[in-house]
Amino acid sequence: MKRNHLVLILVVAALALMVWTGVANYRRRKAEQEKLREMQTMLIPATPASSANAADVPEEDETSELEGKAAPNFTLENLRGQKVSLANYKGKAVLVNFMATWCAPCKVETPWLIKLRDQYASQGFEVLGISTDDLDKDDKKQNAQDKADIAKFVASMHIDYPVLIDGDSISDPYGGIDALPTSFFVDRSGKVIAATVGLHDRDELEANIKKALASGGA
Amino acid sequence: MRRALFFVLAGVFCVGLQCAVSQKLAWQSDAKANQKQLVQFLYPEQVTVAAGKPSVVELHFRVNDGLHINSHTPSEKSLIPTQLMVEEPTGVNFASVDFPAGTEYSPAFSPNDKLSVYTGEFVLRAHVTAQRGDHLVQAALRYQACDAHSCYPPKTAPVAVSVIAK
Repeated sequence: MKRNHLVLILVVAALALMVWTGVANYRRRKAEQEKLREMQTMLIPATPASSANAADVPEEDETSELEGKAAPNFTLENLRGQKVSLANYKGKAVLVNFMATWCAPCKVETPWLIKLRDQYASQGFEVLGISTDDLDKDDKKQNAQDKADIAKFVASMHIDYPVLIDGDSISDPYGGIDALPTSFFVDRSGKVIAATVGLHDRDELEANIKKALASGGA
Repeated sequence: MRRALFFVLAGVFCVGLQCAVSQKLAWQSDAKANQKQLVQFLYPEQVTVAAGKPSVVELHFRVNDGLHINSHTPSEKSLIPTQLMVEEPTGVNFASVDFPAGTEYSPAFSPNDKLSVYTGEFVLRAHVTAQRGDHLVQAALRYQACDAHSCYPPKTAPVAVSVIAK
């Protein structure tokens, strides 16, 4: 008899716990849905889509905080696995060009960079292409594939200047790279003399290169 | 017999409790969830479907003005396609997702290129079968946006829909 009572109590307790779990789950889901609603309210502008304007487009801040300051040094690997530092190029004018294989405007700019580098290399000018393509750091096979994809892009675009990988790792010191292409023009003393975000015309690129070559010399 | 019943009930309770504790939303597990979105999930927040029968759920999105994103089938292999990643909850099966055809777009900086893109509002049609009950379906739209001069790194926009199957 006592045993029957014990079993009955345990069954009732189990049922009560299940009900409690169900209620807790329901409350939790309600809270999550409320959070979702709040989140969507934040994401969706109150104004109708048709009246949305250019404010939706991320602003491109053309004036980098780095201008006039020393370019943050970095060491990244090239596609052969060799380490390359910006410091190695002191005394030269360097265009640090953040790009990616999926970036269409970068493909337009790249041939200009190749030609400008050819044109000004003899005066001490170099381009460092900084790939921001994702590199899988957990899966070796995928990592190799990611690098192979970048190498394929470099070959197809006939890029003959150094292309360094894992550019995301140096994004922060360069103010966070939100849009591509982003270029920093570094003078011979290692100072950033200009920065551009997005595709600019070839003449502007060339003017900034000349400026970098003319600045910071001994 | 009663003892067996008790253990079964206790087991059910423990499983339920574990589910409650381990439940996690898509944006809670994604470190990039707080990134500034260039594509918004508009609606639905909630949808009612016939239990056990194949149904279509239309997911509405909007690309911010002045931007475009690659379609599901970009014109070049190197471009990042728009994809929907779905976390299927128990009781809901996603058979497939139909993506709209992209619109042909030639960027001003490269007028000879013809890209396949989405702009403005676009709709994905998800083919789902849900068992009777309420289900919270969480997903993420992966996209890569550009404007007239720049491209932005790939992002994922959170999507959550409460599916009620009756």
